[in-house]
Amino acid sequence: MKRPVHIAGRGLLCAGGDSPEAVAAALWDGACPPGRRRLGEREFPYFALPLAEADWLARAEQAVRCTAAQLGPLAAETPLFIASSSFQIGHFEQRGAPFELPAASASFSHQLGDWMGLNGPRYSFSNACIAGFSALDAARSLIAGGLLNQAVVLGVELANHSTLAGFAAMELLSRSACRPFDAGRDGLVLGEAVAAVHLSAAPARWRIAGLRTGLDGYSTTGPDPAGGPIASAAVDCLQEAKITAADIDLVKLQAAGSPGTDLAEANALRRVFAQRMPPLLSLKSAIGHTLGASGIAELVALLACLDAEHIPATAGFSRVDPEIALFPMVDRSNAHIERALLNLIGFGGGLASLIVERSR
Amino acid sequence: MIYLNAVLSQQFAPAQLPGAVRAAIGKPLRRASGLTQLALVGALASLPAECRDLPTALLWQSTSGLRQETLTLLDEVCNGAAEPMPYDFLATQPAIAAAQLQAFLPGLQSATQTPLEQAGTANWSLLLSLAGLWLAEGRYAQILCAHLDSTPEAAHGHWLLLGATPLEKAPARLQIDTSPQPDAVPDSPDFPARLADWLHQASPPTLSLHSPAAPRLALEFARL
Repeated sequence: MKRPVHIAGRGLLCAGGDSPEAVAAALWDGACPPGRRRLGEREFPYFALPLAEADWLARAEQAVRCTAAQLGPLAAETPLFIASSSFQIGHFEQRGAPFELPAASASFSHQLGDWMGLNGPRYSFSNACIAGFSALDAARSLIAGGLLNQAVVLGVELANHSTLAGFAAMELLSRSACRPFDAGRDGLVLGEAVAAVHLSAAPARWRIAGLRTGLDGYSTTGPDPAGGPIASAAVDCLQEAKITAADIDLVKLQAAGSPGTDLAEANALRRVFAQRMPPLLSLKSAIGHTLGASGIAELVALLACLDAEHIPATAGFSRVDPEIALFPMVDRSNAHIERALLNLIGFGGGLASLIVERSR
Repeated sequence: MIYLNAVLSQQFAPAQLPGAVRAAIGKPLRRASGLTQLALVGALASLPAECRDLPTALLWQSTSGLRQETLTLLDEVCNGAAEPMPYDFLATQPAIAAAQLQAFLPGLQSATQTPLEQAGTANWSLLLSLAGLWLAEGRYAQILCAHLDSTPEAAHGHWLLLGATPLEKAPARLQIDTSPQPDAVPDSPDFPARLADWLHQASPPTLSLHSPAAPRLALEFARL
């Protein structure tokens, strides 16, 4: 048994706005500048949620409830699949020493379920930047196999010092801006997001045509520069969708402005698409790299753009890198997109490719 | 048909883990957390050498996760005088275990980690259901499912190897059964140890796994 799996509902709160439509409009207008976040003597650009609440837990509750409300009414027993890199570490930072971590590392998921109004089965995923698509893959596999009829996949990444300090210590952050595929790119800009999709076996406007995760053990912090494993994940995804590279109308890139990973992704794209490169778009320069939430947040933002037929230009790109020799969209487009490929590349060699397609 | 090809439960004192790694791969594993070392030792013990190139996925769960590493990072970030050491941040990322494993399991194509939200419970019903579906559709030749916990007191690893074809000594087959049996065993971290106990007994002919938290994900093992 393998049933089609559809995206029946969406919710998003990120620096770009408090609904998918608001985020799409802000992306179209190019109106998403980052704020700043201080770390000791250093300061970095950062895409924060538009929430003023100072208490970490209260702010998290506000963000999750805002996103849940956008999904509309759901049966309380709907299974919930949660993706996050940092869960509630910001809460522990705020409470300070002694740090009383719970015995189970995903204990926060129970709280997230309560805020979502869901008391059914809950599963948590923590695969760094591909966590969102790992959770999506699990949920859609169970629906496709007839073991579930619906599920909610939630991506949550909220501000904390540990993540910012960790990325800063590894010298992975830009001090100025995220510049995807640009010759002057010098690192990531982090951000926050809470995003959700409601998956269903019942027909809806978009369906998941293919989803594959992969693994690139070249190093624990970066992919093979030649892009072979990234390309393999994308090709596996195309095969599952039973389409060819020529059928892809748009690629939502991982492209976070990392010197090494952007190059690896570009080399992978050349392997997959050769001379027929579709339009390329990065959203991370407009809403930040939201890590464990990025898969779901960027999926929701992209679908809102495609529904409006308002595909934004890629912020932060101005100069082609001769080594990359590809450039993301620099002009806005009203193109009608039938199928899009979305790439994720994460710490620990995690790779994921997703193809979404309009239902017929 | 989905086959259970190996069942393994391991326990180490933390001080024994580096030695177990050296015994398995002939050298220490550089900059590896206890969880990564536990994953490597268990994966190699579960997978015969001739199977390590086959398309493989790893689905693993953990209760405590990288708790000690997270405490170290929190202390550095909140109480330290400077930014944390880069490796201390990397060590809090469970995803890096897979990249370190792939050097020894060339067929490893995907790894998914599910942290658990309550001590004493587990996601075996989820991992085995996914494994069953993915093997049936031909996505992988074999799937390693594991529960791993490495604490200052002890390191525990419980493993099940499932395959689309039976190995020579495959003890059981697995099927997804959406109607839970009343005598099903609960979804607990040490489920493979219970499964091994059942395999050593003459009866009953089948063993069901069912988590009350996930009523639609029930599984049944039957001896070969």
